[in-house]
Amino acid sequence: MFNLTRRQFLRYSGATGVALGTGSLASFASAEEPLKIGVVYVSPIAEIGWTKQHSLGVDAIKKEFGDKVAITVIDNIFMPQDAERVFRELAASGNQLIFGTSFSHGTPMQKVAPRFPKTAFEHCSGIVHRANLGTFEAKYYEGTFVAGAAGAHMSKSGKIGFIGGFPIPDIVGPANALLLGAQSVNPEATCNAIFLNSWFDPGKEKEAANTLLSQGCDVICSMTDTATGVQVAGEGGAWSIGYASDMAKFGSGKQLTAFTLDWSSEYLRAAKGVAEGSWKAEARWDGLAAGVVKMAPYNEAIPADVQAKLKQLEADIAAGKIHPYAGELKDQDGNVKVAAGSVLSDTDIRGMNWFVRGMIGKLS
Amino acid sequence: MRLRIEQRQEPSAQMRIAAPVIATALTFLAGSVLFAALGYDPLATLHAFFVAPINSINGLSEWLLKASPLILIACGLAVGFRANIWNIGAEGQLIIGAIAACGVGLFYPNPESPLLIPLMFLAGAGAGMAWAAIPAFLRARMNTNEILVTLMLTYIATLLLSFLVHGPWRDPAGFNYPQTALLPAAAMFEPFDYSYRLNPSIFITAVAVVIMWLFTDRSFLGYKMSVSGAAPLAARYAGFRESSAVWTGLLAGGAAAGIAGMAEVAGPLGQLSPQISPGYGFAAIIVAFIGRLNAFGIVLGGLLMSLLFLGGETVQMTLGLPAALTRIFQGILLFFLLAADFFIYYRLRLPEHA
Repeated sequence: MFNLTRRQFLRYSGATGVALGTGSLASFASAEEPLKIGVVYVSPIAEIGWTKQHSLGVDAIKKEFGDKVAITVIDNIFMPQDAERVFRELAASGNQLIFGTSFSHGTPMQKVAPRFPKTAFEHCSGIVHRANLGTFEAKYYEGTFVAGAAGAHMSKSGKIGFIGGFPIPDIVGPANALLLGAQSVNPEATCNAIFLNSWFDPGKEKEAANTLLSQGCDVICSMTDTATGVQVAGEGGAWSIGYASDMAKFGSGKQLTAFTLDWSSEYLRAAKGVAEGSWKAEARWDGLAAGVVKMAPYNEAIPADVQAKLKQLEADIAAGKIHPYAGELKDQDGNVKVAAGSVLSDTDIRGMNWFVRGMIGKLS
Repeated sequence: MRLRIEQRQEPSAQMRIAAPVIATALTFLAGSVLFAALGYDPLATLHAFFVAPINSINGLSEWLLKASPLILIACGLAVGFRANIWNIGAEGQLIIGAIAACGVGLFYPNPESPLLIPLMFLAGAGAGMAWAAIPAFLRARMNTNEILVTLMLTYIATLLLSFLVHGPWRDPAGFNYPQTALLPAAAMFEPFDYSYRLNPSIFITAVAVVIMWLFTDRSFLGYKMSVSGAAPLAARYAGFRESSAVWTGLLAGGAAAGIAGMAEVAGPLGQLSPQISPGYGFAAIIVAFIGRLNAFGIVLGGLLMSLLFLGGETVQMTLGLPAALTRIFQGILLFFLLAADFFIYYRLRLPEHA
């Protein structure tokens, strides 16, 4: 008991020390003071890509709150050792709401959140929750399913190429859905998959894209943090599918569509919740229906009737009439993983570590 | 008027002390111009860079936590560098050390055993040494270039780590994400205080600094290694065997890096994931040279490098300086530091008028 009290005392005295040190005592904010928000990006904001889309969420807060918000942004924080320090400092210097935007921010946030019980933590792509640590994530697979359908309509070879950053469920699942979307149009469609083990390695990604092209793929979808896949596909005369941002201008006119991420609603919801005092740690997982996943404008080369079908598909997925992982689903070896008439459970989707039938490639 | 560069007869003792001071002054000057040109108050920026990060207990704790692995690895590497043994693969040795230590922590039958930390320490040091023994063997036996071998082994270590966390060691309760389970409490260094992250692994670094100093300045083997670095032919003539310098240099670096990996995994990390080091193994090479391959210089170099890193974050958080600008500033400081050292061995002279 003594120990606990002592620790608590030290914790608060330490926090005060840091707040004094950074020349700010806003942790004891009054009602007139602006809402203090800290945001940690995993990479610098570029023209396109993952962090860019998060910065749009931050912009949405700024637009809504104006001078009633003070946002501190720090970018290029990837390593867990560094992330823990940054989250601590943001919390200690009085930020009431703190966003982490990378899976690698997870363990550090789980360690820091309990030490600052009055601070709200929001973790994008997280899986673990605490009393004051909520998570939000996009249903990428809804976007890839539609994109896969678009690809199959336009593909001549029926072979789709997929490049992924890491073979984690958040990438493996969407890769499967890409092929399932394609198979909903052309049941014989297949998908070659390559993982780079990096989010940002344009050199390796270029090689991977060229490999896929030489294997006969004429639609390339790349889930990394660059536009390289779209670019190489366009230069090679193949169709492409963009991810995170609309990458049309990199695709030599060959980007069919992109499944873009719009986190504005997530950022606004959290900021409003904290401002009104109603914020709770939740696990939010949204897709086409909430507009977190949005399809970029379809390529004009796609015939109007096909575009209409794709828009209908978007609407049906948003309305829940079509589920990308509806049975019957078989894995690469032909084992039935989802029986006809049922759908894959949310837990299984978020832990997906197997390829569906028709995927070519191995998960290490 | 032309200036001439002239080698000094003896390294200048005054310049040895003056060089870092001059470099710091020039850095502050160049930095101030840079910050002012971009519309930031130079004094406030320098304050945020060098004072704000460490004027709280938490700041000091973070400073030492970040500096500790850099100093530890640089000490080990400097032993080899003094003998011209170029181990640039400390990053890989760190990773292997972290893997071995984490393996012990995760799979030792009794997760509450007080022996866990010592065993992990031995595993980390041993694995780092074993990884460094490969280039040592190849260099001593087949005269293979250790620069290439140590660097290439870093990639192999990274891939081995990736294989383990994606495959056999993946946390069964972790939604298939590539990371191991968290280490049990007995396998982690207990922080001095739970409000901060600094832990007793800092003592390992302190001991390593003292050992490094004793070895390089007080031991015969250390002297032999310095001679073979400075004058290989003289060393051979005196009967110093090159292979013993190769083995000592590489194993010292491997052990230090392996221990640093163990301290990271048992300290701030608590688990393995595909990337576990923010480039400590490479940054330590710079630290070793900023510290002029001397134990106490390395301590200062490590503290400087980590302060630059923390300062870069602070200016971003408090003043909104872009991360790229802070990296330019860090580059300016390193440039002036290494450039000023030039004048220890050389001087500029005005040519005599004919």
